[in-house]
Amino acid sequence: MVKNTLRGKSAVIGAGISAVGRVPGKSALALAASAAGRAMADAGIQKHQVDGVLCSHAFSSPFHRFSVALSEYLGIQPTFSNTLQVSGATAATMFNIAAAAIVGGLAETILVAGGDSLLTGLTPDLAIRSMTESRDQQYEMPFGIPVANTFAMTAHRHMLEFGTTQEQFAQVAVIHREHARRTPGAQMTLPLTVSDVLNSGYVTTPYHKLDCSLISDGGAAFIVTSAQRAKELGIRKPIYILGGGECYTHEHIFLMPSLTTTGAVQSSAKAYAMAGCTPKDIDVAGVYDCFTGTVIMMLEDLGFCLKGEGGSFVEDGHITYGGTIPCNTHGGLLSFAHSGMPGSLFHFHEVVQQLRGQCGDRQILGAELGLVHSLGAGFATNATTILGTEATL
Amino acid sequence: MNHITDTPSKPQPTPDADSDIYWSGIQNGKLLLQHCLGCDHRQLYQQAICRACGCDRLEHRTASGRGTVHSFSVVYRAPSLAFKKDIPYAVLLVELEEGPRMISAFVGADPTVVTFEMEVELVCEPEANGLTLPRFRRISS
Repeated sequence: MVKNTLRGKSAVIGAGISAVGRVPGKSALALAASAAGRAMADAGIQKHQVDGVLCSHAFSSPFHRFSVALSEYLGIQPTFSNTLQVSGATAATMFNIAAAAIVGGLAETILVAGGDSLLTGLTPDLAIRSMTESRDQQYEMPFGIPVANTFAMTAHRHMLEFGTTQEQFAQVAVIHREHARRTPGAQMTLPLTVSDVLNSGYVTTPYHKLDCSLISDGGAAFIVTSAQRAKELGIRKPIYILGGGECYTHEHIFLMPSLTTTGAVQSSAKAYAMAGCTPKDIDVAGVYDCFTGTVIMMLEDLGFCLKGEGGSFVEDGHITYGGTIPCNTHGGLLSFAHSGMPGSLFHFHEVVQQLRGQCGDRQILGAELGLVHSLGAGFATNATTILGTEATL
Repeated sequence: MNHITDTPSKPQPTPDADSDIYWSGIQNGKLLLQHCLGCDHRQLYQQAICRACGCDRLEHRTASGRGTVHSFSVVYRAPSLAFKKDIPYAVLLVELEEGPRMISAFVGADPTVVTFEMEVELVCEPEANGLTLPRFRRISS
């Protein structure tokens, strides 16, 4: 049983995001580099102080070794690097791996970064197609599965098994829009109602257009270093990595063990055990929201409510201000931005800012302990990271 | 910039060394499942070892072709240009009588008639482009 091995030994000391939404004329590398510059400035370090680089893969970039290309772009020569690709779960895996690499001595100060230009670097059809083609070419793609379809089938089954409604799905979109309206730079800030969502036209049942996340340009970056180095640098408020976990239950959607219970159960259980906390202790969360129903299922599997109660949990106001677990206070992939694999890095950015108390009128008072859950590929990939302030050590 | 290009043709399954026999079966109207002689596990899709026990003593047996709709989604926005003429169409997650599940498409009726647990049966008919895929239609009671 792995327990407490990474807890509190590394910390996020810098965070930055590029312009997000429609950002024409910027390559994936330019977006990642912009975010990296801001993260280094935020940490108060120079580029030569970075000795490791972890990146997510970028759909719009011709570079297969994105982390290596980004290092060259920034003019650095790290001694630890990798480009990761487990779809939407990549973001949390980068933090988990960064923490492990630091504890294991592979690197001391790691730039965790991602950038992609899915909105203007690819046409919307090509962006969807590039993600669709991550499905199996023999047993899935020939039947015309849009990227939303595998997630839609899980949501549909959730409706059958637990009586979850399309109105409850729509409510998730409405809450995310309300959150985005408070977030400077968010892609979608026009007010939204449940009936707007229900009248936005089906993409793939039971999901309407506004149940689906955005297609965006944008990058995000973080500086992660050892707890000791954070102290030496005099970082005012390091945000410690307390626990991480992952779970990969299938590759093909037809081999998903249950359509309504996911590997988030196992990934979060590992993260909670390592961090030494329970779902009730978490003050603020970033929950992967590629589709509205995804959030409802994750609230259950991450332990914030009971299985089958995610819909009413959302309706009762538990995932917004004043609720038991405010989620995605920046607006998430549904309303802030979704630039592919870097999308979940925006959740990390928001949770780090919340824990530092930097969120202005979005601030959750007294937020000390945060969780981010990233997932992808029809719930094939799940990764959880738990973060906390010095008070939680 | 756009090094991925869209084309009007549908993605065609390219059999690999493991799955050649599966696609030959479909061409002949048969859905082949692998039965493990070591542990009796039944699996789709075809591969060299049993996913339950790891044993390589696997035998192909023809499935009954009957199953139920475990879940489904009716597609209104096509994933690529090639599927635009087909919308709306229902993608099915069929649970076969023998146990394994598979992704398929609904044929033979309007996609809006599809319901959970609906009984369906295999249809292997070539499309205009010559491609035969394992699809399912409603079993009329």
